[in-house]
Amino acid sequence: MKKALNAMGNYFKNIGIAFVKGDVWVKLSAVLMGAGYLARKQVINGIIMFLVEALFVVLCVGYAAPNLAKFGTLGTVQFEQVFDPLTMTSTVNDYDNSFLILLNSIIALFLIVVFIMFWIANMKAVYRLQVRKENGEHINTFKEDVQALFNEKFHITLLTLPAIGIILMNILPILVLVAVAFTNYDQQHMPPSALFTWVGWSNFKSLFTDSVTVTFGYSFKKVLTWTLEWAVLATFTTYIGGILLAKFINNKKTKMPKMWRTLFIIAIAVPQFVTLLLVRNFFADSGIVNTFCTSIGLTDFLKNVGLVPSNLSYIPFLTNPGWAKVMIVIINIWVGIPYQMLIATGVLMNIPEDQIESARIDGANPLQIFIKITMPYMLFVTGPSLITDFVKNINNFNVIYLLTQDVYVTSDQLLANSNAKEVDLLVTWLFRLTNEYYNYKMASVIGIIVFIICAAFTLVTFTRTIKGDKEEEFQ
Amino acid sequence: MKKKVLATLLATAMTVGCLTGCGGGAAEQPAAEAPAAEAPAAEEPAAEAPAAEEEAPAVEAPATAEEGTDPVANLIAATTGTVTLKVWASEEDQDLTTKLLDDFKAAYSDVTFDITLGAESESTAKDTVLTDVEAAADVYAFADDQINDLVNAGALQEVVANYTFDVVNENATGAVEAAAVDGKVYAYPMTADNGYFMFYDSSVFSESDVQSLEKMIEVADAAGKKIAMDISNGWYIYAFFQGAGLELKLNDDGLTNTCTWNAAGGTDVAQAILDLTASNVLVDMSDEDMATQIAEGNVAACVNGTWRAETAAEAWGDNYAATKLPTFKAGGKDCQMSSYSGYKLVGVNPHSANVGWAMLLAEFLTNESAQTARFEARGLGPSNLNAAGSDAVQANPAIAALAEQAAYATPQRVGGNFWSPAETLGQILASGNPDGTDLQELLDTTVEGITAPVE
Repeated sequence: MKKALNAMGNYFKNIGIAFVKGDVWVKLSAVLMGAGYLARKQVINGIIMFLVEALFVVLCVGYAAPNLAKFGTLGTVQFEQVFDPLTMTSTVNDYDNSFLILLNSIIALFLIVVFIMFWIANMKAVYRLQVRKENGEHINTFKEDVQALFNEKFHITLLTLPAIGIILMNILPILVLVAVAFTNYDQQHMPPSALFTWVGWSNFKSLFTDSVTVTFGYSFKKVLTWTLEWAVLATFTTYIGGILLAKFINNKKTKMPKMWRTLFIIAIAVPQFVTLLLVRNFFADSGIVNTFCTSIGLTDFLKNVGLVPSNLSYIPFLTNPGWAKVMIVIINIWVGIPYQMLIATGVLMNIPEDQIESARIDGANPLQIFIKITMPYMLFVTGPSLITDFVKNINNFNVIYLLTQDVYVTSDQLLANSNAKEVDLLVTWLFRLTNEYYNYKMASVIGIIVFIICAAFTLVTFTRTIKGDKEEEFQ
Repeated sequence: MKKKVLATLLATAMTVGCLTGCGGGAAEQPAAEAPAAEAPAAEEPAAEAPAAEEEAPAVEAPATAEEGTDPVANLIAATTGTVTLKVWASEEDQDLTTKLLDDFKAAYSDVTFDITLGAESESTAKDTVLTDVEAAADVYAFADDQINDLVNAGALQEVVANYTFDVVNENATGAVEAAAVDGKVYAYPMTADNGYFMFYDSSVFSESDVQSLEKMIEVADAAGKKIAMDISNGWYIYAFFQGAGLELKLNDDGLTNTCTWNAAGGTDVAQAILDLTASNVLVDMSDEDMATQIAEGNVAACVNGTWRAETAAEAWGDNYAATKLPTFKAGGKDCQMSSYSGYKLVGVNPHSANVGWAMLLAEFLTNESAQTARFEARGLGPSNLNAAGSDAVQANPAIAALAEQAAYATPQRVGGNFWSPAETLGQILASGNPDGTDLQELLDTTVEGITAPVE
């Protein structure tokens, strides 16, 4: 923390120094960016800098200014269209599109920040040139500068493309998403026909509010609880299951291990959504599994035990909250184990044989070996992937959505009033809100919350598992 | 300055638009439509249509006035280059639409078209269109329940004038009502069969049995068969409450609902549903499950729509029959089950670059011959009065049943907050109210959800 503050302090101190100690050319560079270079006879650098500045000014006037001017209101001119029945063409007014204003403003702000950083870097660079000149050191020609990009500054050349990619694909969309959480962008305010505007924190407030009509708070708690329960259960069961399966297949007494392994890998090869939709139909209220259970009398047995409500003639595998949750976890085990088995097989083969050997000589039984040697080793090696699995399961859209969509109807009225279901994860709820109810503002809020939860879990667990001294501990 | 000019232009255009919009129905139809209605040969009418002339010259550009006063001719004359249009029709409608598109191109052979056809179910059109209105198809088919949301989102071009036939007068009144919001028509009716009614196996039920749900349950129970209805679905559970005279309607704001399901008599309906399903003869079943259960012979009657007609006809053969929904007993008196009438409509996207052509195409896809072709190819009930009056259509049991039910059906006008709470109410009642919640309380919570404000 302190380090970061220091670095920041230095960053700004250096500009100060450049301003105070710089000669007239350096000072002129603050306004005309190429000046400092031209004074040191770096003509091409100077021209490039000047062009960059000119481009920025053009962008500011032509792009940033008109958008940022409306950024405060996100537009005021409503879409209007007039159709002329005689020429059969329509005339559209010069309307504001709130979403485009938001998007362009964020891009513009981003460009401005980048430019300021560029400007600071420029100030420092020209001051550095002045110092070099004063000390009589060598000043690079343009050619030497370009060559440097392929030698000692090669990392800059290499990282430019990926950095631009990350900015375009990740950072800007995330910034837009975060901004949407503070607007009233929903079905009643959908561009281009309608405008949306800023509403401050009110969306976050309604997420945690609890009344009968606005049941978002209630639903959020319920959904969050099940999301965490699910993530723990799903991660734990597939992890243990995968290790055990790998152990069984690797066991010397297992016949034809390669065949078994291949069979399980085939299960991966079938696209997951196909498997899941098929399974959903198998377990439907009048599906094949229910027909079978009825004919062997299992349904009646479960009714007598009280596990199935007496007014049903089928087992509500995916239609009753309790049953559905259990079934989802079980089906997930079945879908997820092969992946874990593959990972576990690789790791298990690398367990130092001598440790197991010596344990055996010391009289340890297989269970003890498994608990004291295999598992710690597995946990040590696969710890990070376990954490990513957990985060992945928090966002495990496929399994939940494909198994319950169109099948599961909630019987909790308060959940229903917020369009949620008992089996919903935050991410499936979010999907339904955006895709079926166009409630983009609330979806953004939930998105931010999901991000915070995942980030917190990842940070805490990563710092705990991958501390440098762990390796020693294990040995 | 520029803005001022634009504003004046818009203002004049608007007044002219209004004039022609209002006057158009009466003034220009007789002249412009008559020849084009039967045959899609719309190139010639350049000569006639003098009726619309009075208003015509007022429109800003003098060029159009010189070119002639027939809009279609104007449009053809004004069209240079290729007209690109994107059309969405349901998966099942692809073959027919492809054929109709070819006919359309042939009818306007002076113009080069580039028409792409995409598959988009009528029931989910709204979801895809609203995701990005500007990127959506120029012409798309959708179910009439989505019209409010689509109009609110500005995704439908108002039908201010007709060019090849009289949309309002040639279609059934219900269909036109379903295509209108606040008295303005926003879409072209395509079919009139999207409602629900009762299918039954006439070897199990007699015609008098199917008059009352209680009687049907008695008969089905004796025969060891089930009666299926998707009770845990807002669309169907409406039949009970509306039938008992309780109200559910969309408010004037077009977003929120008024619902009196928890008023006096509401608990009687809830109790009736509980009693009916307690028999375990009337079962809550999704549409997909019904298909398999009918085929397997477990279900001998079901509340469903024309899209299941084929399944039922195949399973029951000559015994396949359809009729209006039965009555049910609530609070000691017989109530006729109501239903939602449903229509499929074709809409034009106002953001289309070729609105004029899109409107012509929408008319072409919904005119009498297209509707007749659609009935012949897929058995869908036409909304066009002439097409619906044909003997072949009249002889179709499912469509006849719909016509019978029509007297008790209402168009579907409901805000988005209705579905989830109603679905859950159905689920709770169909599963016998497992938590034993007080019925009044149950309805109160449902109504609170349905009438919740939309921020």
